[in-house]
Amino acid sequence: MNLEHQSPEADPISPEVARSKPDDEPAAGQTQRHYWRSLQQWAELARWDSQPQQERGGTAEAWAEPVSRRHFVKLMSASLLLAGFGCTGCRRPEEPILPFSTQPPGYVHGLSQYYATAMPTQTGAVPLLVKVHEGRPIKIEGNPLHPDSNGGTDLFAQASILNLYDPDRVTQFKHAGQPVSRTEALDTLADLAKQFAANQGAGLAVLLQRSSSPSRERLIRALRARLPRAGWYVYDPVDFSRAELAARLAFGRPVRPYCRLDQARVIVALDWDFLGTEDNQHVAIRQFAQGRRLLKPTDPMNRLYVVESLLTLTGAQADHRLVLPPSAIIQAAAFLCDRLLGPAGAPLLSALRQAGPVSDQAAAWLAGCAADLLKPEHRGHSLVFAGHRQPLAVHLAAQAINAALGNIGQTVVYHAAAAEPFETLAQLRQALDAGAVQTLVILGGNPVYDAPADFDWGRTQRKAKTVLRLGYYEDETSAAADWLLPQAHYLEAWGDARTSDGTLLPVQPVIQPLFGGLSELEVLARLGALEPVDPYHIVRATFRELVGAAQSEELWKRFLHDGFLPGSAAKPEPVQFDFIAAARATEVTAEPPPSKDALEVVFSRDLKVDDGRYNNNGWLQELPDPITKLTWDNAILISPATAQALGLPRLQPAGPDWRVPVVQVTVADRTLTGPAWVQPGMADFVLGLTLGYGRSRTGRVGQGTGYNAYALRSWAAPNFVPGAKLKLTTQTYQLACTQSHGALEGRGAVREANREEYQRQPNLALELDHPAAHGPGLAHGQRRPLYPNPLDQPGPDGRTPRQRALHAWGMCIDLTACVGCGACVIACQSENNIPIVGKDQVARGREMHWLRLDRYYATGPAASQPQALAQVQVIHQPMLCQHCEAAPCESVCPFNATVHDEEGLNVMAYNRCVGTRYCSNNCPYKVRRFNYLDYHRRPLYLLRGPVYASPLVHRTEGQWDLSRWWRHPDGSLRPKTEWELLKLVQNPDVTVRMRGVMEKCTFCTQRIEQAKIANKMGAGPSKAGPLPDGAVLTACQQACPAGAIVFGNLKDPNSHVAQLKRQGRNYVVLEWLLTQPRVSYLARIRNPNPAMPDYVLPPLSRLEPEASGRQPSAES
Amino acid sequence: MSVSAVSLEGQRLPEFPDREPWIAPGCDLGWVTDRLARLSEGPAPRWWWRAFWISLLGSALLVALLAYQISVGVGVWGNNRPVMWGWDIINFVWWIGIGHAGTLISAMLFLLRQRWRTAVHRAAEAMTIFAVLCAAIYPAVHVGRVWFDWWLLPLPNSYGPVWPQFRSPLMWDLFALGTYFIVSVLFCYTGLIPDLAVLRDRARTKLGQWVYGLLALGWTGSARQWSHYQKAYLLLAGLSTALVVSVHSIVALNFAASQLPGWHTTLFPPYFVVGAIVSGLGMVLTLLIPLRRLAELDDVITLRHIDCLGKLTLAMCSLLGYAYGTELFMAWYSGNPFERFAVLHRATGPCAGAYWGMIGCCLVVPQLLWWPKVRRNPAMVWVIALLINVGMWLERYVIVVGVLERDFLPPNWSAYWPTWADVGTYVGTFGLFMTCFLLFMRFLPLVPIFEVKTTLPQADPQQPQGSPKLGGQT
Repeated sequence: MNLEHQSPEADPISPEVARSKPDDEPAAGQTQRHYWRSLQQWAELARWDSQPQQERGGTAEAWAEPVSRRHFVKLMSASLLLAGFGCTGCRRPEEPILPFSTQPPGYVHGLSQYYATAMPTQTGAVPLLVKVHEGRPIKIEGNPLHPDSNGGTDLFAQASILNLYDPDRVTQFKHAGQPVSRTEALDTLADLAKQFAANQGAGLAVLLQRSSSPSRERLIRALRARLPRAGWYVYDPVDFSRAELAARLAFGRPVRPYCRLDQARVIVALDWDFLGTEDNQHVAIRQFAQGRRLLKPTDPMNRLYVVESLLTLTGAQADHRLVLPPSAIIQAAAFLCDRLLGPAGAPLLSALRQAGPVSDQAAAWLAGCAADLLKPEHRGHSLVFAGHRQPLAVHLAAQAINAALGNIGQTVVYHAAAAEPFETLAQLRQALDAGAVQTLVILGGNPVYDAPADFDWGRTQRKAKTVLRLGYYEDETSAAADWLLPQAHYLEAWGDARTSDGTLLPVQPVIQPLFGGLSELEVLARLGALEPVDPYHIVRATFRELVGAAQSEELWKRFLHDGFLPGSAAKPEPVQFDFIAAARATEVTAEPPPSKDALEVVFSRDLKVDDGRYNNNGWLQELPDPITKLTWDNAILISPATAQALGLPRLQPAGPDWRVPVVQVTVADRTLTGPAWVQPGMADFVLGLTLGYGRSRTGRVGQGTGYNAYALRSWAAPNFVPGAKLKLTTQTYQLACTQSHGALEGRGAVREANREEYQRQPNLALELDHPAAHGPGLAHGQRRPLYPNPLDQPGPDGRTPRQRALHAWGMCIDLTACVGCGACVIACQSENNIPIVGKDQVARGREMHWLRLDRYYATGPAASQPQALAQVQVIHQPMLCQHCEAAPCESVCPFNATVHDEEGLNVMAYNRCVGTRYCSNNCPYKVRRFNYLDYHRRPLYLLRGPVYASPLVHRTEGQWDLSRWWRHPDGSLRPKTEWELLKLVQNPDVTVRMRGVMEKCTFCTQRIEQAKIANKMGAGPSKAGPLPDGAVLTACQQACPAGAIVFGNLKDPNSHVAQLKRQGRNYVVLEWLLTQPRVSYLARIRNPNPAMPDYVLPPLSRLEPEASGRQPSAES
Repeated sequence: MSVSAVSLEGQRLPEFPDREPWIAPGCDLGWVTDRLARLSEGPAPRWWWRAFWISLLGSALLVALLAYQISVGVGVWGNNRPVMWGWDIINFVWWIGIGHAGTLISAMLFLLRQRWRTAVHRAAEAMTIFAVLCAAIYPAVHVGRVWFDWWLLPLPNSYGPVWPQFRSPLMWDLFALGTYFIVSVLFCYTGLIPDLAVLRDRARTKLGQWVYGLLALGWTGSARQWSHYQKAYLLLAGLSTALVVSVHSIVALNFAASQLPGWHTTLFPPYFVVGAIVSGLGMVLTLLIPLRRLAELDDVITLRHIDCLGKLTLAMCSLLGYAYGTELFMAWYSGNPFERFAVLHRATGPCAGAYWGMIGCCLVVPQLLWWPKVRRNPAMVWVIALLINVGMWLERYVIVVGVLERDFLPPNWSAYWPTWADVGTYVGTFGLFMTCFLLFMRFLPLVPIFEVKTTLPQADPQQPQGSPKLGGQT
């Protein structure tokens, strides 16, 4: 990996860039060269650049476009200014330029640079490395140097690069909906600042979202001092702060819990979806996977008990899963407290008991779980935690149990938290209603869309005289604001953040703001008339304050280079659980269990669009939900038994195009309608609603996706609410689901075993091959593959080309570690320029993901009863090109477009592909994707059937497409603004495929080649030996927070991948076909507790009947 | 025309079996020439014009839809993943099946000295050529990048050089199809030469004389020419018969060389050849039965011809039924659960309708042909032939979609629906086919003039007087 960084006050880049001089334009044909030698001089040129076009002649149309290429180039050349600050590479103007006569230090033309930065999240941050190619960021990777990271990221971080180049961003400053100049907007801010400085901030209310940024904290502190009469409010539609609140109450001081899942041997998750919808998912996944990393059968392995109401990613990993309605989880917590707290917990227990008793069945389960927790070897190595949806009482109960089990300081530590003097949205509403707010400043967020429905925020917000909004999109809130300021992407502006363990990170920009956006820090500074307003200096000042001025310079350089401040992680606080205080804070009322007429609605954060902030991100919209496999929509999730009880029609899976009934859900006086989706593994009489869809104002991508679950949400019950009614309407709705068959059908694609079986029989996975392999004459070794590899023919030296090769690339995927989060899918999409295809095309089964996650439900033999479907086991399997050594795709291609290379890659020559699609038909894994309709060049609205616009008769921007194509063969059917921006996100090392071409996983061949080149450059061409292990990371491997994907050289017996493949758990999918894949899987090992009532041996998938012609019943 | 009487007194007349004549009684040699040449002379009948305009409209639809598909992409059709081949390949195999039977009927029956072929073989050959033309459109345009189709040819090039993949059955298909098309055209043309000479001699316009003259290659009907001609025809017939078998076997290998359960089976080549004969017979009957009425050819294409074609159809359909049975048996006998699943899925899965439709149309319904009354009822035979065409289409649907929609890994299972463009293109190929066929019958003798004459009693040297009983003339 190439870690490049320009140190801050080091010599400025001194490229001898030649430009034609602005004022005295020489005669055509001869160019007078002027060299600039300092940044000041360059800045003058840049200033000249911003002068009106008419003054210097030339093409005016390029300047009329808001985002033309030229405009972008202008921005990028300006970004050179920042290069001296250590932030960015440079994208140079195209025409009047010559190559560097002196290279900037460390810069190699064509070689990408990596900068350390971070993506702020609600309670933490994701440490990142951003790959910058010629001045434009193109790929986001995790920062492996960070102490609390392995280089993995979550899918939001991977997808956030697409937001940067989103053509639907706010591109202009606006006042009352009309574009205004940046200066005018900033002047207004200055006027406001003057006004507030005069009246101490009276009438000012600032609405923020939570953030971990120390700079923001410092600025707000300063502002509070200056403007004591201003109000500071915080609102997050998905609020993760309850655990911290509980800790504050129970320990009597501001602390926040930090879980160390890798230390825990028994984990009990009470509606705690730490692998999915909780914040800092990537950290939790890594730590959890670390606790079940099996290198040999005797390795220790954690055990996960999950009590939950929806089927979540955490539930999918559970060794034991108890399905309860959300309101009954407190009963389970009370039961566990009863068994685990001991005498000290009596007051808390008596408060919790108000919730009522659990059912007998659940009691047996919980008793088994409690007994496991009480085992002496688990003391101090267990962890009980509650999810953000659960009320305070459950959080208190969970933390009390940890205290009783001696887990505090071991598996959960408490860090000091900032005192939280922010006020809530409800208080802001009161202030607005009282007319106390003159100026409302909304920084980020989208309250008009996501505030509780009972607040009617769109109208409430209008009660302020002036609403000033810093927003990334022109969304619902922007529409109800007077001033709209474009927000800078985190890759465009300076900032800082802390990860969940408290480590300080820089948020370094890698590109000048594309549309002149402002960061939160800058707006706050301007609002308070603080100096400096420049975010860079703000962040530096904070840094100086944090580390002390004396050693700040050296550390700052280190800080920016490494992307974190070493040793800045928070120290654990000594804490003592106060049962009396906890009991006092526990308010419990018994809820009747949900029933057919009083359903319980659960609102959950969406795994793809979060609370709605990623609604306009095409990659995330098209990513199949890890559980439901739905794309482009959310659905109202209903358990099979409930669907039956409510009379929902039974559905037959018919491919990716599903017509489902539309239902109406009523809670109190609020209703919403949405498509119903029958989801196995859910609690009965519970409706699962995901947030973030059904936007009334969003970009071109998010438009018309899903229903708005916020319409049912109230301030009092933001997480779950009882007493809902469901009515079936006569309408139906089309959903696009990428996987219509979830049963394994006994086909052994996924092999799994319980831990005891594995310890008894370490080679179990091999023996679980499909029975077809044992048919007459089909035993191993007796057959030749159907499509032998031509490279297996020995050459003159008696060795085959493959034997002569230095590398044999292979991959091993650990199904025990994989949780199915989907970060790999987005990473692959980002790295390999994979287009999105839109809902209509997904519904036609044409999505383009090279790497997909197959999700299997296993129900065992009792699958026919809907009740049994609550007890599903879920398995995720990443499926990508298996790079078969005896590849069935290769010999059927008449054009020789897909061939093998010596190192074992199944190579796809796009240029040679004519698109007969036979290779895909013959691929037993169906991992090849066909570009049916020029998905790169067509905008989404031209990808909806049944009639597609033909370039023969279609016009774009008033020009016939054919003539556009004739003039610009590289152009597209997209509007120019969109196309110019979207082109920038493409990885230049990977071909952008046209229509009619088959494509598939290449094992990131571009990364392999780059590593080889680097190796040869280092060793000299003749001496270059094989690449060292770890020199090549595929994009999916790099992104995987669990470390489930390992890629490397199989020729090296000591490589990580070769070692993994020697494990007894190693198997290949459809082994009996003798395709000899280079991708193998490590069987999933479950670790259930034999003493539990729901213990099954073997895992349910192995009890499944073999495939027959019937429809799998787990589907509906 | 009259035949001079030869004294036969004192000699016993040879016993002739009591058989129906091939050509209706009362038709002499001159009548045959007049009747058959009339189709391409004089003004076209009204029904022809009507049919022609409708067909031309269909051809226009085809052109428009191909332009749409090529300019937009294969996505305008219903193909998806995993069903990467849909109506494009179904229709390709369907048309190619039809295209095979024509030459086969003609050449094989010629080799077997079935004299009744004379009345129907030209129509069958024309059908072959145009069906192959329709079929060839599909593989050519169904690919993602049509403009690179020529890369399939093993041309010398500067790219390395890069050759086509000779292991791919699609590659073999190109050569098989090309050879077959060329030989079919040659075979048909060779058969046409004496008739072209007749048309040349009868032509009244300069243009006609010139064109037919050119095409007739100077045919004078000398004994020497006839001798060469018959040798050439025999050789071509032998070559064509072998080609028919090889071509459709290779089309079958397009599927069988894959490893999908349901495709990868050694049964496919003979199964496809039989299927092709069945579909060709179905199409011949579908075309000829209305045609003999419209073009007033009842006397030439008699009920006895239809009867013979019916018997042949029955035999071939039963053979096809045997192939269906073998497929079931082998799936069970292989012990491979994937094979078994593939077969069960066809009969019970989403394509079960197509499967049972295929069994009904291709196996059950043709059993009616056991009854002579049915065979001699043109309307009933026509309905059966039509159903056979439908059944053969369904068979290809089951083979293509039924296998692809359920392969190895359940998460890949999906469904397939054609789009309006799929349907429109298919309809368009009918337009093209009928346009070509109508033009052929307008300008060339659809029923071979000289060959029909050989089936007349007058042409039989063993029976100089003809059989009085059967209407021979004295």
